[in-house]
Amino acid sequence: MTQESRPTKKKQKVKVELTRRDFLTLAATAAGSVVAAQALTTGPLSPFAALKQSQITGEAHGVSHGDYHWGMVIDLDRCIGCEYCLRACNATNDVNAAEPWNIVVPNTTSTGRRFFFSRPCLHCQHAPCVEVCPVRATYVREDGVVVMDYDRCIGCRYCEVACPYDARRFNWQARADSNPYVPTWGLPEVERRPRGVVEKCTFCIQRIDYGLEKNLTPGEDYEATPACVNICPVGARIFGNLADPTSRVSQVIAGNPTLRLRQELGTDPSVYYIPPKEGL
Amino acid sequence: MATTTLSRRSPAISPALLAWLAFIGLAGLIGLVSVYEVLSKGLEVTNLTDSVPWGLWITIDLSSIALGAGAFTLSAVVYLFGLKRFQPIVRLAVFVGFIGYSAALLTLVMDIGRPDRFWHPWAYWNVHSVLWEITWCITIYLAILLIEFAPVVAELRLFDRYPRIRRIAHQVHKAAPVLAVAGLLISLLHQSSLGATYGILRSRPIWFKPSMPIMFVISAIAVGPAVAMAAAHTIEWVTGRKTVPHDILRTIARFSGLGLLLYAYIKLWDLAAVSYYGRTPASDSALFLLRAETPYNFGFWVGEMFLGILVPVVFFLMSRFNRRPFYLVMGALAATAGILFNRWNVTVSGLVVPVTYSPGVLNQLQPQPYYPNLVEWGVAVGVLAFALLLLTLGVRYLPLFDHPDAPAGG
Repeated sequence: MTQESRPTKKKQKVKVELTRRDFLTLAATAAGSVVAAQALTTGPLSPFAALKQSQITGEAHGVSHGDYHWGMVIDLDRCIGCEYCLRACNATNDVNAAEPWNIVVPNTTSTGRRFFFSRPCLHCQHAPCVEVCPVRATYVREDGVVVMDYDRCIGCRYCEVACPYDARRFNWQARADSNPYVPTWGLPEVERRPRGVVEKCTFCIQRIDYGLEKNLTPGEDYEATPACVNICPVGARIFGNLADPTSRVSQVIAGNPTLRLRQELGTDPSVYYIPPKEGL
Repeated sequence: MATTTLSRRSPAISPALLAWLAFIGLAGLIGLVSVYEVLSKGLEVTNLTDSVPWGLWITIDLSSIALGAGAFTLSAVVYLFGLKRFQPIVRLAVFVGFIGYSAALLTLVMDIGRPDRFWHPWAYWNVHSVLWEITWCITIYLAILLIEFAPVVAELRLFDRYPRIRRIAHQVHKAAPVLAVAGLLISLLHQSSLGATYGILRSRPIWFKPSMPIMFVISAIAVGPAVAMAAAHTIEWVTGRKTVPHDILRTIARFSGLGLLLYAYIKLWDLAAVSYYGRTPASDSALFLLRAETPYNFGFWVGEMFLGILVPVVFFLMSRFNRRPFYLVMGALAATAGILFNRWNVTVSGLVVPVTYSPGVLNQLQPQPYYPNLVEWGVAVGVLAFALLLLTLGVRYLPLFDHPDAPAGG
């Protein structure tokens, strides 16, 4: 091989003629390729972006969500303020104990009787948080659940400012805490959210999507029902398909006086409250 | 401010300039340390919370964008309305605008939780989001400012060796009227949308009003040109060289004064019609809480109305004051302070009053007072250093006031 190689060729090899123009051309080509690759893999032009979207909406599991509208009823007369819902939620979704998704607070009626008020995310069908997100990192799924794409969120916190119910929480730091509710109140079913994104209650979509795949009925079958509903010792929370008039949740709404929070804002929440019998 | 003999022809560094640069360097160092702190540990090092998620940095964003509004206003005046008389200040105004917008973007990148995803608004669109539209407008407008400013940069001696770049830059300059139209449209859009960011939020009774975008855009148009005017006077004091003819600067000051009068009218109308006669029970109780718990009233009347409107209006419009550059610069400073007060008041006042509803947390949440901590101030100081450094370099090395094409116009 060494014999065949001519000295002139060797000389040519060493001498690299790279003008400024060539360098700029190469640099621009490289930069352009990176941009094009980026656009084709994650950008709006990408076929993969649509795939990812369908994974999130659950359609990748062969399940259509169009027939469902997941909703909840919370009976304020039944709630005893035990905070089990908050604890099970914190464990199942591995939520930071300092920033729970569920809240439970005492209230009094106008006649002075005590009752307890609890609140998950209300999963509004006209959600102010969804409208304001600059990157569509949060959206209403076809089945009515308002979810977050934690890989897309830029952490601007506009949704947190816009939410009329204070249902959103920002990850101010990288999580290093040990969850005090694990394993007593459940085991984490989803991974912790990274630093710098907003997170929120998801109605335990991991259970809903898994359940539908296994032909279970969320709201009736344990594995397919949100943790807060399962754990409630007095049955104050009822979960199910609002689009199905025969579901338990629909019948409870039909048979009881209900109210929804801040209805004057037109947010159309999916969570209904049964007020205390004597009135608020 | 240091008095130096800055001159492009004799780039000697005087002691005063050295001191000035040392000051900027120190401020920049403070900024870099704070930026490192935020990037390495996350936003938990700030005083921001889930109830007050926006604070000092958003105030800086809003303010520096408003203060940069002189660029589109004066460009439109010259290239669109054909008032060629104002040509000598356009370059400076565009430069000040560029500084303001780039400072805002820097602060914004610090403020979001995931700075590595700053490009997401371009890749993932939500056309219903005001913030999406603002991000697009600001970045497009920054590009417009860059193109408008390219000929000035191309006049640097550095580009003697690349006549082609210089030629391209001057070709681009021919598009100035088109850029002015685009800049005017985009600026009017995002300057008002910054107010709409708050105005559209139904959940916050103090913010939710249609007057918000109007007040934002009018205050920006009024104060932006005054900032460019004050910059021209200050540069003249520091360098000792003529910048822009004084009669032009005085006309700009009077324009700003009239703009501030209009702003004052809209603000008082808003106070009376929207916040008083048109008040809802929710906004009534929220404002009551705000006035009881925070120095909102002081900030409003002293900061916004007296300092931000009355003082500059007097200095800009009364001829016994506006003949003297000193009062014009003081007026612009007061107006700038007014903008800062206003953007702070708008941002923080809507957040310290908690979201309440019944049944639920009505009467259970206390207002959450918010004061920026050292790290937040540190980043603010760093952004200020960035702005001052750009300004100093620009004044020293860029032909901001030489106008080979001045009489002919763009």
